[in-house]
Amino acid sequence: MEGYSLAPVVLVDCIGSALMIVLSCGCLRFAFLLRRARPANVLWTYLLAFSLALTAFSVSRSVGHIAGQVLGFAGKGDVWRALLPYSGAVNTLTFMVVGSITLFFQRVQIINRGILNDQKELEKASAEVMRLNRDLQSLVEARTRQLSASEVRYRALFEGSMDMIFIVDHLGRFEDLNQAGASTLGHESPDAVVGVMSLKEFFAKNDDYERLMQELRVYGFVRDRECLFRSRDGEEILVLLSMSVKAPEPNVTRGYHGIAKDITARKQIERQLQRADRMASLGQISAGIAHEINNPLGIILGYSQLILRGCDKNSQDYEDVQTIERQAQNCKRIVEDLLKFARSADTRKTVVDVNQCLRDLVELLARQFESANITLETRLHPKLPPVMGDTEKIKQVFMNLLVNAKQAITGSGLIGIETTTLETGRIRITISDSGAGIPEDLTEKVFDPFFTTKPVGEGTGLGLSVSYGIIRDHGGTIEVKSEVGKGTVFTIQLPAGD
Amino acid sequence: MTFVRRITGVFFSPHTGRRTLTTSLVTALLLAGDHAWALQVHPPPEGLIAHQLAHAFFAATMAVLAYWLQVNRFVRERGWRLIQISCLLLLLWNIDAFAGHWIGLYVPNEVFVGEPGLFSRMVIPGQSVWAMPYVILRLDHLICVPAILCLLLGIRALYLKVVAEDGAGV
Repeated sequence: MEGYSLAPVVLVDCIGSALMIVLSCGCLRFAFLLRRARPANVLWTYLLAFSLALTAFSVSRSVGHIAGQVLGFAGKGDVWRALLPYSGAVNTLTFMVVGSITLFFQRVQIINRGILNDQKELEKASAEVMRLNRDLQSLVEARTRQLSASEVRYRALFEGSMDMIFIVDHLGRFEDLNQAGASTLGHESPDAVVGVMSLKEFFAKNDDYERLMQELRVYGFVRDRECLFRSRDGEEILVLLSMSVKAPEPNVTRGYHGIAKDITARKQIERQLQRADRMASLGQISAGIAHEINNPLGIILGYSQLILRGCDKNSQDYEDVQTIERQAQNCKRIVEDLLKFARSADTRKTVVDVNQCLRDLVELLARQFESANITLETRLHPKLPPVMGDTEKIKQVFMNLLVNAKQAITGSGLIGIETTTLETGRIRITISDSGAGIPEDLTEKVFDPFFTTKPVGEGTGLGLSVSYGIIRDHGGTIEVKSEVGKGTVFTIQLPAGD
Repeated sequence: MTFVRRITGVFFSPHTGRRTLTTSLVTALLLAGDHAWALQVHPPPEGLIAHQLAHAFFAATMAVLAYWLQVNRFVRERGWRLIQISCLLLLLWNIDAFAGHWIGLYVPNEVFVGEPGLFSRMVIPGQSVWAMPYVILRLDHLICVPAILCLLLGIRALYLKVVAEDGAGV
């Protein structure tokens, strides 16, 4: 009977079994590498488990087959027959494991797809967040640049302002102050004021401050209020103050910011202009009156003198006409003063040494002042430049001021005379006294013609008017500062001559 | 009395219908009791049947996996396409093995003659019509080795793709 060799079957079985082990181990290796490359991918984890089960299946089956062939060739068929059920059972088990793992594929791939979708969404969201973050960052940078530029701009405005700009808290304590403010208040730097002092300390009148605060609390702002400040060195400064509430919202600490403009100089100029205007009007009137009176007075004097020549000197008529002539002379003097005030009188200008004029007058008046217990204190600038003017008229001014100063002092006192040069090319002459002083409301009127505080008959009220007219005629200014009980200071400024 | 009624399931409340049914079945089983053998006897063919069922299960899962790979469009990638081929080959191998085991039952031992040895063993086809089909079916490594090779190439392709993506910074 013809048969066929089973050698091909045996060879395929042995070689195939060996290849199965090798190839399945290769699967396991690549599955492992795959999972290591992407540990978060659940699909590769599944593939590793699948490969592991298939490797177990391959090894189990191949080892069984090879063992069967080897034991068969070795004549140990009975041993193989004893092992065969176990090998078959293990193979069965591996089939079930491989099959079971396989059935998880759909669930795993759904989970994996979900994870990948979530990952994509997360990446998209992350990219969006990054973009927003970048946008936000650039927005913040741009805004910061704008704020910085704005801060620089407003800081420059704040620091460069010639007016006082300040911020105070609800108690009036300075939180910020510009350099102009510090200078106005008499301090070198804002640091000496900010956080240290309060606005109230600079108000000359406490009532003004309280009223200001009251209005701020009620209305929230105060506009163009004229307030009198007192600087660190005691100088009074008139300011135009505008303030408003800084933070009107509830539950926020209130504070105020404000601007104060120093109008002292402006106010002074205004006063000077008003006075000059008034003086000009009075001068015109005075000049008109003086001219009108001058002619009749001349006639009265002429006829009086004619009558006197023809009268017996011992007669009653002579005495009467002499009285008329004397009074007419007084009137003539007053008229001349009025003309001096009105600048209608002739002025012969020469080089005048002001210091010498003052020395002459001091020498003249020294004894008189000494007997009245008045001390004369002179501080004359050694290199005082001369002025162009009328020596006699300038002397008359000084005489008027010194006589007035003496009259203001009751009992003993001090009269100071000081000359100095100014950077403006002018000289300044100050005549001060420690007398009774002039009330504030009268200081404006002291240069008015016929204004006097002296008893009737003791003064014509033309002395200071004439002085004013003379100084003005010389291109200068005359100012008065006075404080009741402390004294009066007359300050004359004259342009220095060549 | 209430206890007995509960045990026998005679309890006519509409809210307890399911419990009544369960209780009745348990009662019926208890009343129909016979010898309660703790262990069941497993005669020799059971091992083969279990093995064959395992082959069938294995084959079915491979078919299912190949189908899933197809419908989920995994096969657009070369790696998964190779794995799908591997699944189909393993499916084929399971059919081969299943048939081999089955036919083997009908092949008498006399078909195979000769001393143990690579070239000494012979098959006598004239002894049984199932002899040659059985021998051919026993060449199953010609199917399962390519199956595992395809699986290896598939996983390797997937790995190389991942490595390439990582290298490209994907």
